[in-house]
Amino acid sequence: MDTTASVSKGVFLFTNGFKKGKGIKKKSEQPLFEKMFMKEPWYETYKQNWNYIEQQLQDLHHKSYSVLLNNVVDYIKYSGINETATLEGVIPSATLLTGVNQPDHVSQFTALIDIIRDEVTPHVALVNSQDAPSIKHLVENTVWQLINGKTALENYDEEDEHISPTKKLRKSQCTMKALKNWYESRHQSPTKKKTLPLKKPLVIIIPDFESFNCSVLQDFVMIVSGYVSIMPIVLVFGVATSVSALHNSFPYHVSSKLLIKVFHSHSSVVYMNQVLEDIFLTHTCPFQLSGKAFELLTDVFLFYDFSVTGLIQSIKYCMMEHFYGDNLQSLCCDREQLEELIMKLSAEDLESIRQLMSFRPFLEQQDCRTKIKLFEDDNFFREALYHELDRHHDYLYSFYMCLRLLCVFVKDLPKNTLGKTVREIYTKCSAECVTETTAFKDCMQLLKFQSQFKMVESIKNALKIINSYLQVVSPVKPLLTSPTKNNSNNLSLNDDLGQNFVKSLRVHLLTFLRQIENANTETTVLTNVSPEADGNDENVPGNRYKLKEKLLKATRVDRVQSEFEMVRSRFVSYLEDMFSKGLQSARTQPFHEILLFTDVSNVRKNIIGSPRGAVHTALSNPVHYLQCSCCQLPSSDSVTESLPDVCLAYKLHRECGMYINLYDWLQAFATVLHPDEEDDQRHQHPLTQLRFTRAVAELQFLGFIKSYKRKTDHVMRLTW
Amino acid sequence: MSSSGSGIRLRFSVEDSASNSSPSRRTTRVRVKPKKFGDFLDLTPTKQQTYKDISSSDEESDNEPNEAPQKPTALFCNDDVEGQDMFKFKSRHTKHDLQNKVRAAISNSPKPTDSPMKTPRKLVHSALLNSPHVKVTEATPKHVKDIIKKRIINEVDSDSAESDFSGGSSSDFVPEDSNHETDSAPSSASSEDEEETQQPKRAVAKVPKSKDNKTKVNDSEYFVTPDNYFMMHSSKKIATSDHTLARLKNLNIDENETENIELSSEHKNCINNLCQTHKQLFNKWLYVMSENFNIILYGIGSKRSLLQQFQKQKLKDFPCIVVNGFFPSLTIKSILETIVIDLLENNTVPSNIGDVVNVIDTQLTENQMELFLIVHNIDGTMLRNSKAQSTLASLSQIRNIHTIATIDHINAPLLWDHNKLSKFKFTWWDVTTFMPYIEETSYENSLMTHRSGALQLSSLKSVYQSLTSNAKGIFKIIIEYQLENQKQAHYQGLPFKDLYSKCREQFLVSSDLALRAQLTEFLDHKLVKMKRTYDGSENLVIPIDNVLLQQFLEPQIG
Repeated sequence: MDTTASVSKGVFLFTNGFKKGKGIKKKSEQPLFEKMFMKEPWYETYKQNWNYIEQQLQDLHHKSYSVLLNNVVDYIKYSGINETATLEGVIPSATLLTGVNQPDHVSQFTALIDIIRDEVTPHVALVNSQDAPSIKHLVENTVWQLINGKTALENYDEEDEHISPTKKLRKSQCTMKALKNWYESRHQSPTKKKTLPLKKPLVIIIPDFESFNCSVLQDFVMIVSGYVSIMPIVLVFGVATSVSALHNSFPYHVSSKLLIKVFHSHSSVVYMNQVLEDIFLTHTCPFQLSGKAFELLTDVFLFYDFSVTGLIQSIKYCMMEHFYGDNLQSLCCDREQLEELIMKLSAEDLESIRQLMSFRPFLEQQDCRTKIKLFEDDNFFREALYHELDRHHDYLYSFYMCLRLLCVFVKDLPKNTLGKTVREIYTKCSAECVTETTAFKDCMQLLKFQSQFKMVESIKNALKIINSYLQVVSPVKPLLTSPTKNNSNNLSLNDDLGQNFVKSLRVHLLTFLRQIENANTETTVLTNVSPEADGNDENVPGNRYKLKEKLLKATRVDRVQSEFEMVRSRFVSYLEDMFSKGLQSARTQPFHEILLFTDVSNVRKNIIGSPRGAVHTALSNPVHYLQCSCCQLPSSDSVTESLPDVCLAYKLHRECGMYINLYDWLQAFATVLHPDEEDDQRHQHPLTQLRFTRAVAELQFLGFIKSYKRKTDHVMRLTW
Repeated sequence: MSSSGSGIRLRFSVEDSASNSSPSRRTTRVRVKPKKFGDFLDLTPTKQQTYKDISSSDEESDNEPNEAPQKPTALFCNDDVEGQDMFKFKSRHTKHDLQNKVRAAISNSPKPTDSPMKTPRKLVHSALLNSPHVKVTEATPKHVKDIIKKRIINEVDSDSAESDFSGGSSSDFVPEDSNHETDSAPSSASSEDEEETQQPKRAVAKVPKSKDNKTKVNDSEYFVTPDNYFMMHSSKKIATSDHTLARLKNLNIDENETENIELSSEHKNCINNLCQTHKQLFNKWLYVMSENFNIILYGIGSKRSLLQQFQKQKLKDFPCIVVNGFFPSLTIKSILETIVIDLLENNTVPSNIGDVVNVIDTQLTENQMELFLIVHNIDGTMLRNSKAQSTLASLSQIRNIHTIATIDHINAPLLWDHNKLSKFKFTWWDVTTFMPYIEETSYENSLMTHRSGALQLSSLKSVYQSLTSNAKGIFKIIIEYQLENQKQAHYQGLPFKDLYSKCREQFLVSSDLALRAQLTEFLDHKLVKMKRTYDGSENLVIPIDNVLLQQFLEPQIG
């Protein structure tokens, strides 16, 4: 029995045994979902990873917002103290230029509120535009939040008797007058508190300035300005576009009541790069996105929404997809836990690991006996797996470091084809072996022309990165004051990746740095040109022809490279060597599937979604979904009788113009269905009519047609 | 996005069309025949050049990101449905397109025809052209045809090289149209001749089409050619025939018989398979929702039963709220009431949406309750306003509420701006089922059934049956009067005093008051409307189609 079909109701409740208050007893089962997946090792690893990332995100958040927010908070503090200095009725207000993406700003404003609560005043109100369609709502909401906000919780014990009357204040009683009384009772009257509190400012935050109704805000500002002499009120506007929005919506008599100070926040692209580089493109995050996936997500960001929150959610989704239902992904974890988790794996899990694509090339490198052992001895396999994954972590460590080094060297090159940001370079590096690409070779070519100064600078930057990387693993020893001068000749990279690789790299770079710094840039020209000819030329400055001759000659002269140039070319070839070692594509690594997420196409469908495309495909080529043998069409435009009714009607309707005659449409429909019947009968067939009726109703439901009143029995197409 | 982004590529080629139409043509007001997408690439080398320029500058764009636009690299892939498949302007629809399509379909159909004497092609032709009441050509007035003819001549003159190819179906068949003008009921022989002449033409016309396909592979950008749009809308005349559904004999089909529609067994199997594959997603959906994403399902076919199964299988232990978005008198308030009053057992719903959401949020977390909100058709008519959607978005944002919604309307993604989308946190799932939208369309005034008025008629009958015999008589008088006077241009209705006198004649009522009492019942049921004229007299009108009234009367009389 269908319980949700009704002609009188549209909403149905299935409590399924849940009653209010009952849940409290069931505290043991609190994470209702989690019990479904909790036992699975992959879920645990996923949770760990995600929690770790979330933690990092929060840290980053605080870091990146802190400068801006501290400025705002300082301003609020200052305006609160200096309140006497302000003119009569003028409200100090901070305007935060937040940038286009409003969903991202929620976190920004909550952070702001937290800081304000901590440092300045407990009285903060944040009013969204949807909660304040009129001035009444706006005032009510603001006052209610100011009075009943966090203060009630914080000072509950010490001010019990004081709060209780205000707590009873209903929302409809929240007016500016009530606020005034409340504020005066708190601050003017002698209270029992030990110290008379400073006059704490009341902060009102309006996060989405543009979505407010102008006149509401104008009235609000006017009202507030009337009270500002009694209570120190500070306004904070979040403006998504530009300051001119503020000026446009406030006429002079309103804006003259505001003392506007503007604060700029980061653009979201900067923030995105920061998030990606600091959190996801590091070796500390075991979950890796393939270059393609990465490109997809950044494209969604750059071309669709500019939302960092959205980007993070998409990455989260990729992670969920990566881990879902597969125990071998539980190995996608920190290096420390690896051993333990490998031991936990069941024989089946190991078997599925053996079936990974990247296992095969790995296998081929082994000799025969190890091959057999790998297949038969689970423990031996476990050991090999551990070894390889450990190596993979080493690989990641050096990979990301090289990535950053490459970025340092490459980002200022003209005509840069590799990209400027780490993420751009990453997409190139992870897709293929970057050192084989022409783009990389071009870059190296360009590096060979770089000036000494520039080169020294970038090497210094590179060294900074290396040091920071080494610091993560172990505290760096004090700089080796004298790396052996002559080891430049045997600069060879040993085979192991990871920390040792980085350490040797550091030593090499230091050597090069010294050499380059000290190198002589003077070129010694082997001159076999007679000096007197030179003198002649200089005596006749206007002689263009001579000059040309001279220049031509100069090109023919063998130039001996200067010391610097020699070192430079040596250095560049060293870089090439180093990068080709450090920037191998992740796909070449054995068992990379465990750490690397590559299934972009599925995720793409779920993140972006293409409803219109799906509808079109289903209607014009139903075989794509049905996989039936009867509806194979020669082209997407053709029709046959076996098509589902909706598809048939859809295809016929695409042949019509703006308006469709229902009768003709029906006839065409019937003719396709019954090509060999008499003309009169086929469309009179009640079943045919029924089928047609339903198909038309469904097309209307889908929004392809609507009724057209001007001419009887006509419908209007809603698509081109 | 945004995500509402539907994997469609569009590129406007405004500068192309501007450079294409030379000023001289503009002044003479001769319409340049709209070129198809392929023509731009094939015929005009300069265009190709400009396009190449654009792409080459894109490669360099990394240097000066502010000057050349960056291109998305991973957003689109080869599986995407081409934008031009969906949004292509047809050059110009003629009323023969439909006919030709059907003809082609039948001639292509592998089914052998039963009567060897009549080829199916002829049959259709005669069906559509020769049927007794059909005079197709009458639909287009002569002057329109003349305009078209002139245009074709112009086209042939201006670019004779292309005219054979890119005319498309419209220009192919317009000359044929003029043939019919002279001979409105063509004999089967002449029609066969036409077929023969058409066939080679069509074969030729196929050639550039395949070329189109080739270029599509190379470059999948879709150039919108705005000219076509204006061509399509240039003529206010509706070039459709004047047939009405009244020609059908069994006009009033019983809607309830829709269950009788049988699918072919193969399709049934296929649909079952489809549903089975969708069911395998259930666990994943739970997982996705447990991570605070919400789910949106799209694709042709009713997704109601699928969701019901999901609810039955996986959500037995959770409180669920099912919302029928297609329900015509659904309000967002009723959804909130169900949550706040019925589920959380409060007494009142706060008036402010922000407050409601807060109340729900705090109470759900207090009770540690995971609530599932199943919305069939979140794009339903009553949910199409921004207030409803932002409320739903705020609800879905709550950690303990998990929304799973379906959309069917092709423009549904337009409902959400990025604020709402970021609150909804949708993941998109293609669950095409091809199941009929039985429940979803049952409330709708379907174009066909509405016209046939089966619903109205049956309700009229049922109300009529519950009337007293006197009331029946009164009602009949009004109907008859209305039918008699239906020819009047401005039918004002039956004046009250006339009705009274008529009723008295038939001894239906004895007093003015008694008649008024009877009428109130009609007015309450909206069977009758009272209109006041300028002179103050009251007129009675039945707000129902006269055809329907006729049908209603027929069995009463008989």
